[in-house]
Amino acid sequence: MKKSIQHGLILAILTCLLALSASTHAATGTSMPTFVHPVLTIPRIDVEGYGSLSLRLVLENEATLTFAIAEAAAAGTGLSPGATFNLQTQTLDIPVVQVGAEFYHVQLRLLPGDKFQVSLADAAAFAGQATYNAQCATCHGSDGLGGSIGISLKNCATCSSASVLSAKINDTMPFGNPSACVGTCAADIAAYILTVFNASTGQQASAVLQAIDTMPLATTLRNASLQLVSRLPTAAEETLVSQQGENGLRQALDGMMKEEAFYDRLSEIFNDMLHTNRYLSTNGAEAALQLMRRFPNARWFDPGVDQRGTDYQFNRITTNNSVATEPLELINHVVRNDLPMTEILTADYFMVNGYSAKSYGISNVQFTNEWDANEFRPARLTNTPHAGVLSSLMFLNRYPTSATNRNRARSRVVYDLFLDVDILALDGERPDGTAVDISSPSPTLDNPDCVKCHSLLDPVASSFRSWNLRGVYTPNAAWYTDMLQAGFASDVFPVTSNADELQWLTAQLVEDPRFDDAMVRIVFNGLTGQEPLDPPGEDATTAERDAWLAQSAHLDEIKAVYVADNRNLKTLVTELVLSPYWRAEGLNDTAFALVHEETGAARLLTPEMLHRRIEALFGFQWRGPLDQYATNRNVFSTARLLDSRLYYQQIYGGIDSFAITERLSDPNGLMVFVQERMANEMACYGVPNDFLASAAQRRLFPHVTTTTDLTSGQGQEAVRRNIQHLHRYLLGEELALTDAEIEHSYALFATVLQDGRAALASNAESSALPARCMRNNSLLTGASLNVSGGTDGRLRNDPDYTIRAWMAVVAYLLSDYRFIYA
Amino acid sequence: MERRNFLRLLAGYGIAGALPMSLCTPAWSAEAQRFLITVNASGGWDPTDLIDPKGNAMRADGLGPVNHYAASKIKSIGNLYYAAYPDDVEPPATDSPGHLDTFFAKHHQRLLVINGIDTQTNGHETGTRFVWSGRLEEGYPTVAALAAAPYASQPMAFISNGGYDFTGALVAPVRTASAGTFTSLAYPNSQYADNPALRASGYFSEQSYRSVDAARQLRLARLQQSETLPMRAAQMARLATVRSSELELDGLLGLLPAQVSGGLKGQAEVAIAAFASGLAVSANLNLGGFDTHGNHDEDQTAALTELLEGIDHLWEQIVLRGLQDRVTVVIGSDFGRTPFYNTGDGKDHWNITSIMAMGAGITGNRVIGGTDVNFEARNLNPDTLEVHSGGIIVTPKHVHRALRDFIGVSTELDNLYPLNVEKLALFA
Repeated sequence: MKKSIQHGLILAILTCLLALSASTHAATGTSMPTFVHPVLTIPRIDVEGYGSLSLRLVLENEATLTFAIAEAAAAGTGLSPGATFNLQTQTLDIPVVQVGAEFYHVQLRLLPGDKFQVSLADAAAFAGQATYNAQCATCHGSDGLGGSIGISLKNCATCSSASVLSAKINDTMPFGNPSACVGTCAADIAAYILTVFNASTGQQASAVLQAIDTMPLATTLRNASLQLVSRLPTAAEETLVSQQGENGLRQALDGMMKEEAFYDRLSEIFNDMLHTNRYLSTNGAEAALQLMRRFPNARWFDPGVDQRGTDYQFNRITTNNSVATEPLELINHVVRNDLPMTEILTADYFMVNGYSAKSYGISNVQFTNEWDANEFRPARLTNTPHAGVLSSLMFLNRYPTSATNRNRARSRVVYDLFLDVDILALDGERPDGTAVDISSPSPTLDNPDCVKCHSLLDPVASSFRSWNLRGVYTPNAAWYTDMLQAGFASDVFPVTSNADELQWLTAQLVEDPRFDDAMVRIVFNGLTGQEPLDPPGEDATTAERDAWLAQSAHLDEIKAVYVADNRNLKTLVTELVLSPYWRAEGLNDTAFALVHEETGAARLLTPEMLHRRIEALFGFQWRGPLDQYATNRNVFSTARLLDSRLYYQQIYGGIDSFAITERLSDPNGLMVFVQERMANEMACYGVPNDFLASAAQRRLFPHVTTTTDLTSGQGQEAVRRNIQHLHRYLLGEELALTDAEIEHSYALFATVLQDGRAALASNAESSALPARCMRNNSLLTGASLNVSGGTDGRLRNDPDYTIRAWMAVVAYLLSDYRFIYA
Repeated sequence: MERRNFLRLLAGYGIAGALPMSLCTPAWSAEAQRFLITVNASGGWDPTDLIDPKGNAMRADGLGPVNHYAASKIKSIGNLYYAAYPDDVEPPATDSPGHLDTFFAKHHQRLLVINGIDTQTNGHETGTRFVWSGRLEEGYPTVAALAAAPYASQPMAFISNGGYDFTGALVAPVRTASAGTFTSLAYPNSQYADNPALRASGYFSEQSYRSVDAARQLRLARLQQSETLPMRAAQMARLATVRSSELELDGLLGLLPAQVSGGLKGQAEVAIAAFASGLAVSANLNLGGFDTHGNHDEDQTAALTELLEGIDHLWEQIVLRGLQDRVTVVIGSDFGRTPFYNTGDGKDHWNITSIMAMGAGITGNRVIGGTDVNFEARNLNPDTLEVHSGGIIVTPKHVHRALRDFIGVSTELDNLYPLNVEKLALFA
């Protein structure tokens, strides 16, 4: 009877927890049981035939060494089992419990009343501990947290598994003398590092993530849709999510990533890193074409000054921009076709459309429509060993070299963008020029202060040897003998190879696990507007360490899913959108406020993103009064948030990828005026325009008309319902009709209405709408809405002041934090 | 996270109340009485074509001459030496304020030149960072941001025209545009901001607009109060701070020319109008075109001419507003260019450069430091500032140590972004 009850306890816990496990954040990593008086924490107990659970036991009686169960939870699936429970003997066996710096083998027996009593506690030893202290602790610290030389071994890049870490130690450690610890020595140290230093990582990470409240899936869908494809979700997508939950959201995201708008956003994300859009015509009509002097047909569109037709300017700009966006189009091509992201570096082709193909003199590419600027196809230049983005004319010119620089700048960029390594930060400050002996013939080869960085930098730099400062392929050009030759890491370019050095390099780069880190970084940055957290330094607080451990562990999980799916970037985007870092809506535990100091995807919308959000919600762009919209919509210089010379693109923190390459992430005094003007103008344009449409077609006002009786209870409820709709439609807020925010908006509506009507009565204001808000002409055609012989479809007056009161509410919402941030 | 990043998070833009008092205390006075302008010649200028001339004597190592003009043509005025135009280049008109003779004749009495500065790099990004922050590493703000930091609550305290404008979040950089754009932002509720006669015609009546504004502020406060994500709460706090700072652009508009010039001149006009109207404290001006890997003589000359014209225009604007005793101007570049030509008649990157300064507090007609015939930096006696073989090589760190002391960067800010280098009285 007793036995069955005890069986029942364990099984009841397991049954309950396994049912909950779907909603529990899974912890990962190794997990050693620890005892910190009076709590014994066992992250994962396996019960044969039933499953796993995690227990926290509290020492209740020191004399009898009896523990009580304080907490039971589902064990993280990624955790290694640290204990087993034998149902027959009722014994909990824990091979290693860490108690401070010591280790014990402990067994506990389950007693009546759900207590556990210690039945065995023998000292245990770790084979790798002594060796670690002798060979590793000097650099990595006895606590594994790193030092000025060695990195922290907590959740380190190669700490993902015993085999990976063991191999790393076997091949490269101790630094400078790797043969001192190989085989069993390396395996034992790896086991020690993983077991001891990474014991609680999974638990900590799990706790940190659990403190985040994530937004509902429907909100996630809306935000993802606006950010990825600049539109609201379709009804079908909303149904998918409501019916199939996360799986439905994944399907919806998959569909979005087939849309052309997604590739516009993807190009923005990668250009924020590459800055190859420096060569768009906004930085000079032929900024890209000027780099193509060796191509005789570069300016194919120009028949001579006297012969230029009306299409000259269009062809000129389109061709230039087709050439300029070539590296970004390669990335789009790889993603669009579900190719592994490694191909952005290893592609033995580049991308052309009908316009750029003519400039390059390429005639063997078949286009469906050679005049469709969006139809890019792979192509090859004769006798040119393409190496993905790195051999792009745009990349090579954006990051030029010189006789003195010898491609080192290009090498630094390769490390930064494609290996997530900041060479200049590798060893702190660069050596002081006065303190470094540069008198030797080749200090980058023989001065240790220089070699530290140049041993990494120069082999990659030399791999660019055949690509000159203008980005032209010049095989067999002489190269410097006083610097390290082409290579990567410990590998040297094989002289017998027939491949080009740069092609060989890209093959090495994509094999490096840091290439995957770099892709995660770029997409994380693109989606959240933030860099992933830096590894904590020596003076980091506990909160900073916990924040980094949790985030890096989580991103590692995401990376693993991405890598397993053939490095498909769409998978990476999906996993990041579903992650708590993107979906963070709040914290459920204020104790984690410091840890989550930088958590969340909230960012000030870039001018381009704000431009698209406006269009997605209003159906037209911010380009001035709608009566002129039919003319203005195709004129670049009328786009308030895209044009930098006449309007606000740069004032609002945008970049030109040339002189200004950093976006402003917080508004300044001028930017809040841009927000204010945008809100005023869009309310002025959007509100009357919406009332022109039938109720079924209105985006903003489905529940009211300009003549809704506001004195009746029914009319007032309609106003409230419409305000509720506006909060949802413009801000993504799901509010109850009785929510205080609805009342605040209603109060604004009522106040403006009342004041306005008083002004009308006293003739202080007229019944005419402000002139720029009037709707006289068709949005699409520009034709007058006052059709001769037909009805007058114009909207020029607001006799009840209703339209202007709604304008006030819309302006209020458009300048809201939740509209201008995302 | 480093300490400076922690303080940044603590502070946010303009939330001075969260900072130690001493960090918030203006170095100069409660209202800025002194202004700083940095002018960046982007791409790496060639001091040997400007204020550290060498001439065309052949180098002993056979790499060729440093310049394409005879050493005998090197000019001097007062204590300054300046370059002649390369033989193969058509000089600008002599009445151009950017002509070397014209420029130095007019400004030499107010120019301080520091030659032989070793930037220890030939990477653009690193070079601009070092030259304008005093540190090679990332994470150190431009000196213009340090100057504006005590006035961070002013909505346009630091105007940036690109180049190195990292601020460490001490102050929000403001980018500028045309006069018409300013006008549209000065009157965000006006339908016809650019037409004074119709300017009063708003999208909303004044009364309605006040209601919207009040509702907006209350809404932000409510959101801020209920927000549990620290980052969002901080963003809201910064937004509220900036919104409440009441930027009045009318004064600026009144001081801008009817037609703001293009390029460096326009940047100068906006910066000085912003200083004079009390909106800004510092500005970085930026001019490209100096990265002359090919066709150096012609392209470098053109860029230098535009630079000198811009500086001259800047000075005229300073004089126009009577700010000669309040504006200090520092002019520099990423690094220098090689003391020899490459095969494309260009010059590549070289780690030695110069800096010029003028304006408030600067003793002009002075040259500190120097380079040898091969345009290598010469050592400087740190006490006498004379060239001395037993002395030290001047780096941007030294320049910034002196500059920070000169403009009065507070000790706390200075410690937050330490330079750790000996003090030289470069700007004394």
